[in-house]
Amino acid sequence: MYPQQIHSYLLQFFNENNCQVLNDNDHYINVQLTIEMDKKIMNRPFYWKYLECTDGEPSPAQLTFITDKNRLVEDIKGEVIHFGSPRLSQLFQATKEMGSFVRMYERVVDKFEPQTILTPWLAVNYKISYYSDQTKEILYSLGINLMTGQVKEEFQELLSGVDLTTTMSENTFNLPYIIKPIRALERLDGIIDTFIQKADHKWAEEAKLRWQKDRKVLEYFYEGVENKPDCYEIEKEAMDQQYEARIKIDIINGGLFYLK
Amino acid sequence: MIIEKSSAWKEGFTERLENREAWDNWTLYRMSYEAVKTNLITDFNGLQSPKYLPNLTPLAHQLKVAETVIERMNGKAILADEVGLGKTIEAGLILKEYLIRGLVKKALILVPASLVNQWIEELNHKFHIPAMQYKKNYDLDHCTIVVMSIDMAKRSPHKENIYDQEYDLIIIDEAHKLKNHKTKNYEFVQNLKKKFCLLLTATPIQNNVFELFYLISLLKPGHLGNYETFQSSFSVSKHNVEHDDYLKELVNQVMVRNRRQDTGIEWTNRRVQIIPIVFTQEEQEVYDLISDLKNVCPIFSDAFSMITLQREMCSSKEATSLTLTNMLQKCIKPEDISYMEGIIQKLMVLEVNSKAEKAYELITQASDKVILFTEYRATQTYLQWYLQSKGITSVPFNGQFNKNKREWMKQLFKEKAQVLIATESGSEGINLQFCHHVINYDLPWNPMKLEQRIGRVHRLGQEHDVHIYNLAIQNSIEDHILDLLHVKIGVFEQVVGELDDILSAFKKSI
Repeated sequence: MYPQQIHSYLLQFFNENNCQVLNDNDHYINVQLTIEMDKKIMNRPFYWKYLECTDGEPSPAQLTFITDKNRLVEDIKGEVIHFGSPRLSQLFQATKEMGSFVRMYERVVDKFEPQTILTPWLAVNYKISYYSDQTKEILYSLGINLMTGQVKEEFQELLSGVDLTTTMSENTFNLPYIIKPIRALERLDGIIDTFIQKADHKWAEEAKLRWQKDRKVLEYFYEGVENKPDCYEIEKEAMDQQYEARIKIDIINGGLFYLK
Repeated sequence: MIIEKSSAWKEGFTERLENREAWDNWTLYRMSYEAVKTNLITDFNGLQSPKYLPNLTPLAHQLKVAETVIERMNGKAILADEVGLGKTIEAGLILKEYLIRGLVKKALILVPASLVNQWIEELNHKFHIPAMQYKKNYDLDHCTIVVMSIDMAKRSPHKENIYDQEYDLIIIDEAHKLKNHKTKNYEFVQNLKKKFCLLLTATPIQNNVFELFYLISLLKPGHLGNYETFQSSFSVSKHNVEHDDYLKELVNQVMVRNRRQDTGIEWTNRRVQIIPIVFTQEEQEVYDLISDLKNVCPIFSDAFSMITLQREMCSSKEATSLTLTNMLQKCIKPEDISYMEGIIQKLMVLEVNSKAEKAYELITQASDKVILFTEYRATQTYLQWYLQSKGITSVPFNGQFNKNKREWMKQLFKEKAQVLIATESGSEGINLQFCHHVINYDLPWNPMKLEQRIGRVHRLGQEHDVHIYNLAIQNSIEDHILDLLHVKIGVFEQVVGELDDILSAFKKSI
């Protein structure tokens, strides 16, 4: 992420969370947190507990984030924020928590069309992680039509071209779904499982070979030792954990979409 | 294959479907997806960490080490770059990479007590890794990245507390301190679960090839075979390494080592010389009397204290007299006592210290900052007085100094004094690139100590050629020490690889 991208990310994040941006200077921003946001990111539960107990006047923090230190000429104190800085990871996490489930309708502006029918879709964004002593991650964005069961990949990219709102436009009505969303979710989970089954798992084979090789070396060290010491068992266990191939499936977010 | 999934999202989704919770914000939804996409690790290979560290510019050799360790050595390695090439940076890069990839959740970093703060500082500021120092009564369950002195870690109850934790990565700095497999340190590390493990040392061999065997056996037992097979195939006598290439190959599978000249950085030269010194007649007489002690009486025949005495005599009469006085108290027979008193008397009337005079001469010639290393505290004090009497300012430096005093002495040296007189324990963890003359007033047994000493000045940031003077008294024990140093350097080079000049520019063949 470039400084400019981070800058817009912050602006958007605070705007969406109703935190007033007091000063936006293209390489630093000054923002007034809401009470809610302060509780979320300032990590000071005792302060808030104290206020509640004493019925005091809350004063949520005002923060300055410097998004491009190299361009800073002003004498400004603030948190330098860059890709990889702990604060940005924290905001990513907060974004994830506050953007997990949505229900959106496609906006219909054409008033002359008598009535528009919207079809319900379930969209789910998956992250699959392969783990051994090395890692790799794959992103899948799937959408399933709740009328027909049709499945589309790269669904999130598809949605980015659609004008969506949280309320249904006038003169539109949505079809009641035939496939229940929870059932549809199970179907998508099944598809992900199939993806994983069909994928090339050479990585796991290779990890196993590395594991076997290390194991042989260890056995050689203790060859002929009758009562193997504790550290032999410890070493063996460490090796199992190091090379064991695991796959982790995470749902990043998902939701219901009513589309034309 | 194990597949992990969580039902948390499904539960949250059900809550919304049944109208018990509100739906989330669409913009945040999109931003969240984009963030995951940006952070996605799309390849098993390659390093993610550099893009997370825009304010750190690792050197090419440091990045290469991190990559090699992760991809080819499966995260278990000895990082053995020469002193001053940034082993801490390499370890930091590897730790960061594993943290980003989610392969390491908890890490334990064991270092000498004097380096704890430096590690915390570097990890936090350069790598944004929230490392903390372990203190008594801390609950290790809550410390994810913890830095601790190894001497504390090996003791109860800390030892047990550590064993109870599940660490994914163990880093041990100055790992040559684990060379002896009979120590508590070694045993402690041996029983530690080491999934990923980095051992940092510039000097994996200090005296003999078995040290490397034990170090590697700690990291990867069996890699060099077990003790019996290793002994029979690689060591006829301690200093004679056969099958060099084969052993080197095996070692290189678990060890990465960069030399200064491999780094692509312009390094200043090392100008190393041995300065031979001849005792005055009076000094020689006392030295011979001391050497003869063992023939005078059996209570003096202990080889170790004899060698100590001889070395001290090569250093200063102050160092010698302390030991001699102690020995005198053990004497019972009157003739031993009088012999001893005779030596002490002769010693005390010595007026010239040939070595100190030579050192003074070198310091005057240099007419610049000089670091002088001695093995003895008594010599340190004497030299300070001696140089003072010649109008040369100096400051002492010991390992026992606390952090503030070390900093203060360093500052005094930089701004006021011409000479820093350090004892051995002062040679770890101070960086003095502003100085480029090193006098090894006394020679240690171990060539790697010399390397550590030189490393204080000859490191990244040094702009001048570095002059190193090794003082050795002719026809004394120091001749023998020199020979032994040459042999040990030979062993190191056969197994580990070339060393920068330590003793002199001319390599002696064994």
